[in-house]
Amino acid sequence: MINSPEIPLSFSASRRSLLRALGAGVTGLGLAACGKLADDGAQATGSTLKIGFVSPRTGPAASFGEPDGYVLSLARKAFAGGLTIGGTRYDLQIIDRDGQSNPQRGAQVANDLINSDGVDLMLATSTPETVNPVSDACEAAGVPCISTVVPWEAWYFGRGAKPEDKQAFKYTYHFCFGVEQFHQAYTHLWPQVPTNKKVGVMWPNDSDGNAIRAALGPLLAKDGYTIVDPGAYTDGTNDFSAQIAKFKAEGVEIFNTFPIPPDFATFWRQAAQQGFRPRIAQIAKTGLFPSQVEALGDIGAGLASAAYWTPTYPYTSALTKVSSKELADGYQNEAGKQWSQQLGPSLALFDVAAAALRAVANPKDRAAVAKAIGTLDVQTPVGRLRWGKGPNGNVVATPILGGQWVRTTGGKYPLDFVLCENSSDPNVPVAAQLKAYGA
Amino acid sequence: MTSTSADVPALWAVRRSSTGTRISSAALLAAGVALFAVPFGFAAGVVQQLTTLFIFMILAVMWNALAGYGGQVSVGQQAYLGSGAYATIFLTQHAVPPYLAVLLAAVASALLAVLLAPLLLRLRGGQFAVGSWVVAETLALLVALDADLGGGTGISLRGLNAYAPNLRRAYTYWITLAILLLLLGLVVYLLRHRMGVALQAIRDDEDAAAALGVRTGPLKFGLFVLAGFGCGAAGALTLANTLFIQPQSIFGVQWTAYMIFMVLVGGIGTFEGPILGAILFFLLQQQFAQYGAGYLIGLGIIAAGFALYLPRGLWSLPADRLHLRLLPVGYHLQRRVARPSARRSDV
Repeated sequence: MINSPEIPLSFSASRRSLLRALGAGVTGLGLAACGKLADDGAQATGSTLKIGFVSPRTGPAASFGEPDGYVLSLARKAFAGGLTIGGTRYDLQIIDRDGQSNPQRGAQVANDLINSDGVDLMLATSTPETVNPVSDACEAAGVPCISTVVPWEAWYFGRGAKPEDKQAFKYTYHFCFGVEQFHQAYTHLWPQVPTNKKVGVMWPNDSDGNAIRAALGPLLAKDGYTIVDPGAYTDGTNDFSAQIAKFKAEGVEIFNTFPIPPDFATFWRQAAQQGFRPRIAQIAKTGLFPSQVEALGDIGAGLASAAYWTPTYPYTSALTKVSSKELADGYQNEAGKQWSQQLGPSLALFDVAAAALRAVANPKDRAAVAKAIGTLDVQTPVGRLRWGKGPNGNVVATPILGGQWVRTTGGKYPLDFVLCENSSDPNVPVAAQLKAYGA
Repeated sequence: MTSTSADVPALWAVRRSSTGTRISSAALLAAGVALFAVPFGFAAGVVQQLTTLFIFMILAVMWNALAGYGGQVSVGQQAYLGSGAYATIFLTQHAVPPYLAVLLAAVASALLAVLLAPLLLRLRGGQFAVGSWVVAETLALLVALDADLGGGTGISLRGLNAYAPNLRRAYTYWITLAILLLLLGLVVYLLRHRMGVALQAIRDDEDAAAALGVRTGPLKFGLFVLAGFGCGAAGALTLANTLFIQPQSIFGVQWTAYMIFMVLVGGIGTFEGPILGAILFFLLQQQFAQYGAGYLIGLGIIAAGFALYLPRGLWSLPADRLHLRLLPVGYHLQRRVARPSARRSDV
C-alpha cells in the first residue's frame, strides 16, 4: 500500500459528512428565511407584454405545428403597433417554442418561458402531450394559459379534474371540441351511407383514446350502433393482425380510430393487405391534414374525418380581421402548401390572447388576466367563443364537423377535404354527401 | 493495490493526490456548498434551469458508474427513472407529503434494482443491454395498464401546487443538489476504496478479474443498485420539476440516448467527464433545441464524431495534455523530486 500521507484515506468519508452537515445547515437556513427567496423573473414590470406559444413542431405530432410559422407572422403583424390598455401603450412580443411532442420537453420549455422569459400569458396547442404539461406548469406558477386542439375531456379530466368540479383550475383555460361534438358529427355522418351499424373501434391507451372509450362508446351504443372493441392498444404497436381479424370476423362495416399518425399508417396498410375494407373509415387525430392522407397513397382517398376549422367557416379573426377564406388563401400563397385545419384554432388563440389582455386594467396582473379569460366573448375563425356557458368554467366546447377526403380533378392539390354535415354549427355550409369508402 | 519500491523506477513515485487535486477538490467542495445559496440570489429561471442541469448530471454520473466503471452498458436505465416518478405519484396518492415521497421513491427504485439484479446481472454485454431495455418497456406497459396511475393518459403531480411557486422551485432545487452531491460523494468514496480498482478490473475483463480473485458478483450488484437509486431519484425529481408525466415519455429510450451522449462526449470512465458532458448537453439543448429536427441530427453527428475521433471524450484532452485531474480518484506516476520527504512513499 502506497501511502499518501498528506491526505488521510478517511478524507472522502469526512468530506461527505461535512457536505451533509453543511447542506443540512444551509437548507435549514433556507427554511427559516423562505421569505427572502428571489422572486419570479420579470413580473409586473416594464411596458412589454410577452406571450409564450408552445406547439409540437417535431416528433410524432409535428404535422400539427406545420402552419405555425404563418399564423405567428399574422399575429406578430397584428401586434406590431403594440396594444393600448388602460391608457398605457404596451409593446408585444411573441416567443414561440417547440414542445417536441414530448411532455417532459413541453414542461421544460413552458417553465423556461415562465421563469426566464417572464411571459405574461401562455398559449398552447395540439395534443395532450404538449398542452397538458404546459397547462400544469402555468397553473402551478400562476401564469394565465389558453389552450386548444385537445378534446376538452382529455385536457380537463386528464389533468385531475373531477366531473363534479365546476371550475377546477384558476389560471388555465381551454377551447376545443369534446366527445359530445364527435358524437353529433358521427351520428349525422354515418347514416348517409347504408351500413349494418357495426362499428369496429381502435381506441388506444392514451389520453384521447381513454377519454373517447369512456364517453363516446356508450353514446353510440345508445343510438343503436354495435361497438366491436378489441381493447386498448399501446401507441407504437406495429402488428394489428389480431384486431383486423376480429373486425373481419364480426363483419364490421364502420371503422373508427383515434391513433397517433404513424400507428394509423401501419394499421391501414395492414388492413388493406389483409382484406379489411369497411364501408366507412372514420378517423380522428390523424387524417386531419392533407400531407398525412397523401402519404397513404391510393388507400388514403375516401377516408372520413372531421374538421374543427375549414376555409368555409364563415367567421373572421377579431385581432387580425382575416376571414377564414383569406387565412387559407394566404397560407397557400405564402407557404406554398395546402390549407390545414390547424390554421383556424392557432389564430383563434391570438384572438383570445388579445381580448384577455384588453379585458383588464393592468395586463401585468396575472390573476386579473386569468379571471378575465373566464368571462370573455371573442370572435375567432373557429366561431364565437364564450366562456361561462359550459361545459365548465374553464372550457368552451367548439364544433367539429364531419367530412371526407376526396380526390380533386385538375386542381393544384390531389386531395381536398369536403364537409358532409354541420350538426354542431349550422352556419357552416355543407359541401357534399358522404360516399362509401372505395366507392 | 500493493506494490514494492522495486517495481517503480527509482526516480518515479505512484501518487494519488497532488497540490492540484487538493486545491481543485477544495474548490469543488466549496462550489457545491455555495450552490445551495442560489435560490436566495438568482431569478427563478436560473434555479429551474440549474435543477434540470443537476438532474442531467445525476443521470450522466450514474450511467458512467454503471458503464464506465462497471462495464455494464445499460440501455434500460429509464426503467428506474419511470419507477421513481411513478412511485412518487403512488406515494402522494397515499397521503405521503410530496417531497418525502420523492426521497422514498428513490429508495423504492433501489429496491426495484435489488429485485431485478438476479435476473439482469446474469446477462452480459449486448444481452444485458437488450435485457435492461426489455425491463423498461415491460414496466412502461404495466404502468400504462394501471388506471389509478393515470394509464396511458399520464398524470399530474397536483400536490405540489399547494406550495408557493418560488418555494416549490427552491425546495426541488435543494433536494436535487443534495442528491447530486450525495451521489458524487458516494462515487468518489467508491473509486478511492479498493472496490473502485476491482470494478475497473471487471470493466476491462470480467473473467480475468474473477481469476485474480475479484468477487465480481457483489460488486456488480452494488453498482447496479446504486445506479437504480440515482436514476430513480432523477425520475422523481424530473416529475417534481415538470409536474406531469406519461409512461411513454418517462419510460422512453431517449433518456438512455441522453445519458450515452453525455458520458460519451464528456469522457467515459472518468470522474469529471460525465459532469462536463452534462453541462455541454444542457447548453446544446438550451441553445439549439428550438431548431427541431436539425438539433436532433446535430446531436447525432456530434455523438458519432466523438465515438470515431475522440472515443475517450472531451475530458481526455486536458487530462492527457496537462495531466489535469480535479479529484484524487486514480493513481498516476509522478517524477520524484529530490527531497527527503519523498522517501516516505516507499513501503
